[in-house]
Amino acid sequence: MDDWISMPLVGFPLVASIVLLAFVSNANESMRRRLANPIRMATLVFSLVLLVITTGMFFQYFGNVSWEGISFNNYEFLHRYSWMESLGIHWSVGMDALSFPMVWLTTFLLPVTIIATWNEKNGATYFPILLAMGGALIGVFVSLDLFMFYVFWELTLIPMFFLILVWGGADRKYASQKFFIYTFTASVVMLLGLITLYFFQDPVNPLDYAGSMTGRTFDIPTITQHALMENSNGNWYLGANIQKVLFAMLMLGFLVKLPAVPFHTWLPDAHVQAPTGGSMLLAGVMLKMGAYGMFRLPISLFPHALQYFQLALLIIGMVSLVWGAIVCLGQTNLKKMVAYSSVSHMGVILVGIATMQPMGWAAALFMMFAHGIISPMLFAVCGAFKHHYHSMEIGAMRGMAKHSPWLATSMMFAWMASLGLPLLAGFVAEIMMFIALWYFLAAEGWSVFWMVGPALVLAVTAAYYLWSMQRTIFEGGDETQPPSSLHGAPVPDIANPEKLAMLILAFFTIVFGVMPWIALDMMHDWTIQIFEGLILPVLGNFNGGA
Amino acid sequence: MSEITTIEPFTEGFVEALLPELILFTGMLLLILVPNLGKGTFRIPGTQLRLPWLLGGTRFKFSSDPRLPAWIASITLGSAFLNVLYVFSQGLERVLIVSESGKELLLINGFSRIFELIFFGALALAAFSSMNRLQVKGIGSKIPENELYNNRRQADFYILMVTCALGMSVVALAQDLFVLFIGLELASFSTYVLVAFLKESKVGVESGMKYFIVGSVASGVGLYGLSMLYLWAGSLQFSVLAATFAVSGTTALPLIGIGFVLVGFGFKVSAAPFHFAAPDAYAGAMSPVAGVLATASKAMGMLGLVRMLLIVAAPESSDGSAVWLVCLGAMAAVTMTWGNLAALGSDNPKRMLAYSSVAHAGYMLAALTAVGAWNWDAAVAGDASAAAVAVMTALLFHLVVLVAFKLGAFLVLSILESEGGGSRLSSLGGLAKREPLLAVAMFIFMISLAGVPPMAGFLSKLLVIMGIVRVAVGDMGAEISDGGIYALGDHALGLVACLAYGHQLSHFRLLLSSCRRCDVL
Repeated sequence: MDDWISMPLVGFPLVASIVLLAFVSNANESMRRRLANPIRMATLVFSLVLLVITTGMFFQYFGNVSWEGISFNNYEFLHRYSWMESLGIHWSVGMDALSFPMVWLTTFLLPVTIIATWNEKNGATYFPILLAMGGALIGVFVSLDLFMFYVFWELTLIPMFFLILVWGGADRKYASQKFFIYTFTASVVMLLGLITLYFFQDPVNPLDYAGSMTGRTFDIPTITQHALMENSNGNWYLGANIQKVLFAMLMLGFLVKLPAVPFHTWLPDAHVQAPTGGSMLLAGVMLKMGAYGMFRLPISLFPHALQYFQLALLIIGMVSLVWGAIVCLGQTNLKKMVAYSSVSHMGVILVGIATMQPMGWAAALFMMFAHGIISPMLFAVCGAFKHHYHSMEIGAMRGMAKHSPWLATSMMFAWMASLGLPLLAGFVAEIMMFIALWYFLAAEGWSVFWMVGPALVLAVTAAYYLWSMQRTIFEGGDETQPPSSLHGAPVPDIANPEKLAMLILAFFTIVFGVMPWIALDMMHDWTIQIFEGLILPVLGNFNGGA
Repeated sequence: MSEITTIEPFTEGFVEALLPELILFTGMLLLILVPNLGKGTFRIPGTQLRLPWLLGGTRFKFSSDPRLPAWIASITLGSAFLNVLYVFSQGLERVLIVSESGKELLLINGFSRIFELIFFGALALAAFSSMNRLQVKGIGSKIPENELYNNRRQADFYILMVTCALGMSVVALAQDLFVLFIGLELASFSTYVLVAFLKESKVGVESGMKYFIVGSVASGVGLYGLSMLYLWAGSLQFSVLAATFAVSGTTALPLIGIGFVLVGFGFKVSAAPFHFAAPDAYAGAMSPVAGVLATASKAMGMLGLVRMLLIVAAPESSDGSAVWLVCLGAMAAVTMTWGNLAALGSDNPKRMLAYSSVAHAGYMLAALTAVGAWNWDAAVAGDASAAAVAVMTALLFHLVVLVAFKLGAFLVLSILESEGGGSRLSSLGGLAKREPLLAVAMFIFMISLAGVPPMAGFLSKLLVIMGIVRVAVGDMGAEISDGGIYALGDHALGLVACLAYGHQLSHFRLLLSSCRRCDVL
């Protein structure tokens, strides 16, 4: 297979969904109902094709690429077409060990989401929009051009906006607007940062892939190379002050997306109102766009500024970690609790980044991946709860284990995975983060008692998960209380497609918990490469190092 | 770039050079004549002989068709548009038309022809789309064909459209303040009447009156400014004015003159604080007319500003910024903030689009301001004129794509209007259910207006912001790299760009209501 294979990964789902939507738009109501099933099958097949391609890439069937040993700022499957020549904009795609796990995760979650929400209403338009969402997400991860990156970054908003607006809960209008305005405003700041970065490039030395009119380029590998050269000469790329300003501008966009406290308030609203499929992709992949963007742009370009802002990031991460967990304790809405737990887990990623230890960065990368498998399962459980019980209140029912053993088991498994049970995927990332934090504290000469905070958060996390489980699944004994929203109808268990999706997600949670090296090796290798290629040459003897 | 050919009126090459305008003129004559064709006869005095002369009397079937004027106007404007396109494809020749005494009157070049493309394109679309919409009962009623206005009333409407195009193209070509003003007033008076065309409805008359009064005051102030410039320079020629301005442009008289002219054109682009009539005019006029006001008329105002500020009152050297820089910058910032905030609070979709059009004006003014800020560090920002060219390109591109999505949004509203809704946001509810095609179109227009990639609106805004940032970076780059990020505060241009972009969110309200209830619940 040639290098062009990463092009259809983006283009195919987008084009397919546009074709399907155009096809549906002419149909009337009854025709749409009849079309729903074939379209659902078609999108499932399309997304499975994508999964086969990315899995084939992993097993070196396509392209014969080993995902380990790719040195910093080198990309596999790199392809570049000139797009707007006068401005130096290219359609350039490529992957490295940072983006490949995210691309695989997206292609993996797409069919799982389709299966888990098999019976979603308005299927004829719902499934193509899911497919478009997947295409846009893959586009974010594979694009190697600032302009293209921004276009896909914003493009992910449109399908998600519709998923929330059309298939969402009662308060969906408010939620979708809030979601859009928050993330759009943040990314406008990011866009200004990108353009400023563009114009601060030195046009005197001719750059590769530069625009004929401006003499500057949007090409990420070129800019990264340029920044690396400047940074390792002992200078700050673009100068100290502007580097700090640009770092802050770019980080703002990514922190809102992540989301970190205090920019997190859009997330619970969006999640509670979003349909199950939207939540699964939102929590599974879309939040990780923030962490991915941090690694790809500000960290790779401005390591000095990262060191400068290290403490600030650490504090934001710690606050997110602790705040998210404590707020969870007070939630009565199941989905809101899960949403806040996402905030807490994203705090883990931020703390991992802020330690500036190879272990911490590997932990952040693995957390992105593990949370990308566990959180869709959490939201699938919430979705099933809502779908079958018409309520999301934790206090709505007791003794679920008796009525709905499948749902109760899935819930128990997902909750356990999320609270970091050993041998499940989440545990690996958390333990790595703790080790990295310990290294950091030791290297800085700080008291290791700072570890108590995050350690207590583990206990709090266990507390809110176990408490909610105890109230819904086990309490009540023989005198179970079916939810009042069912109005006396028999309590159903989850449907077969949902069972299948739960099984797939649970299976992979165990696989990546028992054999984390499948994904961890390439992530670990990527952090080694970025430390050898960027951090050590630039920062030299930075604080300790593991 | 080819040399400029100089010709006198009605000599060789005149017809080729002004073919689009002559097409419009012919179309106007046809619009007057054709709907009046009939079996009218003329009796030779003193005899019983009646000679048929075809004007008046019982009209023929084809000439009494109410749709005839619309067809004539659309074909006229469309062929003028195509003619300009054809000229572009053949390689444009630059022609300067001078009077017998050597005064420059009209200049035909790529810049003016691009603007003519905008004018003719917008007006042709508006004429074609209002074909079935001029109804006796005014806005908001769906009635059969035989209740359209009769074709004499229709002919009035379309004659005004064509004269509007003619006036605008004269503004585009003018090289002389007098010619400029003639063209401006021709276009303005046409739009005043077009806005008030629905005289049977209260709203139409009210909005027309408001628009006329505010507009004529603004024109008067502008004319006063032009006369001051004449008094000071002793000439109405742009070339003479520019040369004189370079020598003694910072004296009081020309500055006051330029300021007054700014008022006149500020009204045309509906910049704050001269925008107050715009929302009323847009809301009272028919949607296609409102669309013309928001695109073609605005482009004409921008063109006038470019001519006056960049060609006449441009700073001569690259080490001084333009005298109008602060004034225009403040106007831009106020305009875009006011427009966007006011748009958030309006419940009538046309008013909302009107305020968003105010915001867009502020946005383009910011680009114009950036061109005026010449005193940047050439070592950081590169060639000054190249940066100015980039900003101007962005401005032109923005104006061109604005025709597509702004006029498009108004045309969607015009369809809703003729179905009886369209004056409240709530009447857009469930549009996706009723008219999927319209809803998709409206969605695309709205996200394009809001500047979401991958729509054209994003690209044009990006280009404008890039131009502004480039100028701002050139301006402050040296200071920042020397230390002191507080230099950022001195140069608000970057913030201005941020404002322009971030505040476009109001469009989402419109979008939301059009998508609401599209699920089956």
